[in-house]
Amino acid sequence: MLKYTLKRILYSAIILFFVMFIIYVLMYNMPSGYVETKARELASRPGATKSYSEWLQDLNAQYGMDKGVVPGYLTWVKNAVRGNWGDSWSWTIPVTEEFHNTVWYSFILGLISFILEIVIAIPLGITAARKQYSFTDYFTTVVSMICISMPTFFLATILKYVFSVKLGWFDLSGMQGRNYMNLSSFGKFLDVAKHFVLPAITLTVINIGGLMRYTRTNMLEVLNSDYIRTARAKGVPEKKVINYHAFRNTLIPLVTTLGGSLPSLFAGALITETLFSIRGIGYASYSSMTQGDIPFIMFYLAFISILTLLGNLLSDLLYAVVDPRVRLS
Amino acid sequence: MASYDLNEELKKRKSTQTGAEKSLDDVSRVKVLSPSRKVFKRFIRNRLAVFGAVTLIALFLFSFAGPLFYPYGQKEIFYTFSKQNVNYALAKKNTAFNGYDTDDSIEVDTLVTTSMNSNIKKMLSDGTEEMTIPGDEGGWLIRMETPDIFTLSGVDLEKVADAGESTVKVGTYSMIGKEFTAEGDEIPGLAEAAADQIKGTSGSFEAGGVTYTFDKGAKPKTFDVFAQADGIIYEGKEPGGDFEKELGRAMEEGASSFETGGKSYVISKKGASASVYTVGEAKTAMVYTDLTLDTVKTGGSVPADFKAAALLAAAEGGGEFTSGGETYSILPDEDGDILMVQDASGEPFGEFGQYSVRRYSGEDTMDFDLKQAIAGKIDEMMDEGIQNGTLQAMIPTQNEDGSYSRDENGDFILNETEMKITQRLEGEYVINCDQINYVIDIYAPPSAKHPLGTDGDGFDVLARVMYGGRVSLMVGFVVVFIETFLGVIMGGIAGFFGGWVDNLIMRMVDIFYCLPMMPIMIILGSMMDALRMDTYVRLIIMMAALGLMGWAGVARLVRGQILSLREQEFMVATEATGIKVRARIFRHLVPNVLPQLIVTATMGLGGVILTESTLSFLGLGVKHPLATWGTIINSVSSASAMAHYAHIWIPVGLLICLTVIAFNFVGDGLRDAYDPKSKR
Repeated sequence: MLKYTLKRILYSAIILFFVMFIIYVLMYNMPSGYVETKARELASRPGATKSYSEWLQDLNAQYGMDKGVVPGYLTWVKNAVRGNWGDSWSWTIPVTEEFHNTVWYSFILGLISFILEIVIAIPLGITAARKQYSFTDYFTTVVSMICISMPTFFLATILKYVFSVKLGWFDLSGMQGRNYMNLSSFGKFLDVAKHFVLPAITLTVINIGGLMRYTRTNMLEVLNSDYIRTARAKGVPEKKVINYHAFRNTLIPLVTTLGGSLPSLFAGALITETLFSIRGIGYASYSSMTQGDIPFIMFYLAFISILTLLGNLLSDLLYAVVDPRVRLS
Repeated sequence: MASYDLNEELKKRKSTQTGAEKSLDDVSRVKVLSPSRKVFKRFIRNRLAVFGAVTLIALFLFSFAGPLFYPYGQKEIFYTFSKQNVNYALAKKNTAFNGYDTDDSIEVDTLVTTSMNSNIKKMLSDGTEEMTIPGDEGGWLIRMETPDIFTLSGVDLEKVADAGESTVKVGTYSMIGKEFTAEGDEIPGLAEAAADQIKGTSGSFEAGGVTYTFDKGAKPKTFDVFAQADGIIYEGKEPGGDFEKELGRAMEEGASSFETGGKSYVISKKGASASVYTVGEAKTAMVYTDLTLDTVKTGGSVPADFKAAALLAAAEGGGEFTSGGETYSILPDEDGDILMVQDASGEPFGEFGQYSVRRYSGEDTMDFDLKQAIAGKIDEMMDEGIQNGTLQAMIPTQNEDGSYSRDENGDFILNETEMKITQRLEGEYVINCDQINYVIDIYAPPSAKHPLGTDGDGFDVLARVMYGGRVSLMVGFVVVFIETFLGVIMGGIAGFFGGWVDNLIMRMVDIFYCLPMMPIMIILGSMMDALRMDTYVRLIIMMAALGLMGWAGVARLVRGQILSLREQEFMVATEATGIKVRARIFRHLVPNVLPQLIVTATMGLGGVILTESTLSFLGLGVKHPLATWGTIINSVSSASAMAHYAHIWIPVGLLICLTVIAFNFVGDGLRDAYDPKSKR
């Protein structure tokens, strides 16, 4: 197990190396003169501590722009491995600091919708599977399909239109109300929580469909398996068949997928956060991307690539943990 | 054996066994369906899949055939007549006097013409009727003919005397030599007095009953000494008689001229002193007025000499004048403010009025009667001392080009409106009214002409939705084709050959699988923004990038399928019979992977359409003039537009949803139809 894990980690590191290389090449080929413009802008900012040529030198050295693509990339990797991710161009603070400022909002938002998803989708999926081809089943299938097919921006716009414009219950966007500063600390908490309602609903609805379908599919498979038939044949009460025999086995794929998606809670919701102006990592990275903030983009992409690989690893490991039949080798 | 068709065989048997009783296990009771018929039959049994298929067919017809029958294009801009409250006109009371040459032979000094307005103002405030400006040769005479008309004439001036307090330089005193150099005649006793009393920088002293002043001279330590005289200093011969008495009286009264001894004199004042001239014959060189000539013909232009001749005639109290070989007459109206010009036949030609009424843009395109009405209303307002007034007037409507519409007789098409006149400054009035303009029809609500209304650029939304559907669907198909093409080749090679090839390709698949697609597309989009790329080029690059990033999944699927198929007996048979590698892959392996591929591709289409619309919504995909469903929603994504123009974005958003749902239903249905035992 340990050997397998170590092997997988090493293997993931190699994949990450190449993934980041592709992204670096993309970044390297940003429209020419970009570093120069940025350096000029940074140098002419009020309170700039470095001159244009110093900035230019600094930026070029930092990202290895003066070297070729490959040596430049190796420089970046060397710095990144040592934890030196540089200063963000658009946020003008170290990349890691901006990361700390934003990632927790994303995590909270992700966690809320993750819990909501599980609470709503799994029972619905199981119910649909139990009553296959019933009205409930069709209804669940159609609803989950609508959720899957709904573009995030359209759902967010509809929610804003109904709840912010027509009903006026929530603010259109942002994380804080108008008189946030005058509130007590509990009031501040409630205010932020209120602003998280619509984004959380959006994220939940977008993700709920997939989980619902997945649960239903797996439950159906389990219900069609021989041991369920055996259990029913020997007269086990239906309740017990479902809750004890079937549900436990459905949990195996569910736990592995959900466990695998745990790291992505930190990845932030790019579109949702941007649309609702939640200052999470997704929003920060979106504005960095549109402004060409190379250090932050490189950091963010490395971060989400690591999260993806970690998720895959976690899901494989969990599979072995949950299902005793699986032996990792 | 080669072409044994069970269905044909059954038909043959049926024809021979007509009418015979069939036993239960008779083989002719078995109806054999071809595999594709079987799939089709299973597919149409699935209600959701049929719904999806019908929706897709409808969407394709809508997007690809719809524009053929729909009258509008995607970039066709619509206009409408709209009532807008505009600053229609500006009425200004002229305060500046404009000059017109009446006699070109007299050259007027530019110094005189530039100071004309200030001189006229001074005359108006002093209440003098004449003003003389001495020049180098002769001089100039400004005469007020009426309070609105002034003439400027060239006159011969001969200086007779200086009167009042006058200062004459008498000499220069030098501190160094303590000597006095007189200018002109020496004045006895002055040199001594100067030596005694000149101290400091300036001052005055008296000597012999005359006051002298001194001031620093041109050279250092020298002083200019001036004699202060209060009286009359004659230039040449004294006119004698009552001249001094008359002059004194005129000066006291502040008159600008007087007559004595059969001669007339004019006084030109300069501070406390004045010069007296005899005036020769005056020749009118220019005529100045603050009136504006409005002709009855709208926007008619009149040469400057016409105005000059008319004003001269008016200065003489009205009468006939000629200009350009035609005879006109000018008459004052009852109040005397307005001068009416008539042509020879007595028809009104124009009027000189107090106000210059122009369109707000400064163009002189307004109707004569309207100008008159506005000027009249302003006078009324002035009399009543109010600052706002309203007026009913007819104004022309505008047509497509922004010019005025005319009917078949060439007359303006008028519509009645209420004009609001508001005083903005002293003597300046703004006239507002509702004007019917021909404007771009933006954000029109749904109507029979535009079922979904128009957007912010005046485009018909329904037309754009149709064309946008074309692009969105096309993007989906192209991307899925690229994905599938690359995926089948890479996956096929990996699965078929195995070994290090498989290993290499699968590692590439791992890498591409890990690439975060949305961020990379956003970065690409903003890069293309920075390069200001053409929207069609962007579209192609976007499709290529999406295709490149999506192949890994297909490759993984194909490889997995091939790995399992490779071990099956029929593949072993192909190898044993020595079929070529190419044929083995493409004739035997690929068709077996096809069902799975079709299902994945169908599901993938929905995903690509979602990605494309999200990118376009963010403004990083397809760009504005080209319509896609994402850009249409993007055009009304701002908070206020979103709130007001729900009739634009809701149908389009639902359409995106419907398309993706339809693709997913069809994909699901196909999967179930191909392999009923597979996972649902």
